[in-house]
Amino acid sequence: MNRTVLGAGLALALPLLVVLFANLGRDPHAVESPLIGHAAPAFSLSPVDGGPAVSLASLRGRPVVLNFWATWCIPCIEEHAALASAAGRAGNDAQFLGIVYEDEAAQVQRFLQERGKAYPSLLDGDGKTAISYGVYGVPESYFIDAEGTIVAKFVGPLDPSTLEAHLALARGQKP
Amino acid sequence: MTRLIAALLLAVATTTSARAAETTEGVRAVVGAPRGAPITGPDLDARAKEAAALLRCPVCQGLSVADSPATMAVKMKAEVREMVAAGYDQDQVLAYFERSYGEFVRLKPPLRGVNWLVWLAPLMGLLIGGAFVAWTLRGAKAATPPAMTQVPVGVDALPEDTALVPYVLKVRELAYGWPGGVRPKVERT
Repeated sequence: MNRTVLGAGLALALPLLVVLFANLGRDPHAVESPLIGHAAPAFSLSPVDGGPAVSLASLRGRPVVLNFWATWCIPCIEEHAALASAAGRAGNDAQFLGIVYEDEAAQVQRFLQERGKAYPSLLDGDGKTAISYGVYGVPESYFIDAEGTIVAKFVGPLDPSTLEAHLALARGQKP
Repeated sequence: MTRLIAALLLAVATTTSARAAETTEGVRAVVGAPRGAPITGPDLDARAKEAAALLRCPVCQGLSVADSPATMAVKMKAEVREMVAAGYDQDQVLAYFERSYGEFVRLKPPLRGVNWLVWLAPLMGLLIGGAFVAWTLRGAKAATPPAMTQVPVGVDALPEDTALVPYVLKVRELAYGWPGGVRPKVERT
């Protein structure tokens, strides 16, 4: 009797324990983007400081780094320098784009004047572009290759080496 | 001045409609043409709300897009409404959001693959639990000793030590009223 009860208890508890331990190191909020390996959703958005709208289609042929950010987001401020210097180094080889997430144009302009603007930031007032990319929060960065395919998504602030590694993926280089 | 304002308004209206066309294109690229005809009025309200209630608000904790006041959820609600108005059905709306956010965005997991477990596990738990309870109850029944007769079993036995026998018989005479402490023969009919 006792052995049977023990066996039954183990049979019930073991699968649960396996699931528990297999997922202990996993962040339950980190949902892998289903867009990786697929065509990046198209957009055509106006830059925060005016000028003609920028469309993703017009950037075909160059890798694109798409960074969703806001001035109220502390990690976005942290990664700003890394993004700006990487954009400077990449020059015309890659296009960096910011997409403003739930923020005011005036605030964004002031921020860019103070901290330096290395690439255009686009306004996404109705949030449709953020929705089409599956943005959960900021900062989130998408790395798109020259053919317009999303090769990687990074959640959280980028440091220079992570940024370089992801950009290499977008350039079609093996890590 | 009025003319300037009018020109500005016109410019805003044109860019807005251009953007709407662009979005429709984006939606079309993912889920194709709408399966239904465009709808308006209370029907649109009801169907948009129904679809939004099935979507998880990505910035909340277990809230649907319909129930959440978060800016992101409000924008998603607007997008859902726009899609429903254009004639997209519920499946298409959910599929569009699933394409960018993954299956996680569905509050009700679709019946496919490993998701069947979610629906079947409670039923299986109930069956296994029920079987266990039935098995335990049956075991308990089998282990119950037979009901006590008026006279305990073994009461006729006598101790090996003959010196104790008279005392035992005396106790039985007092306890059970047996003459001489010996059980009287019972006539069975």
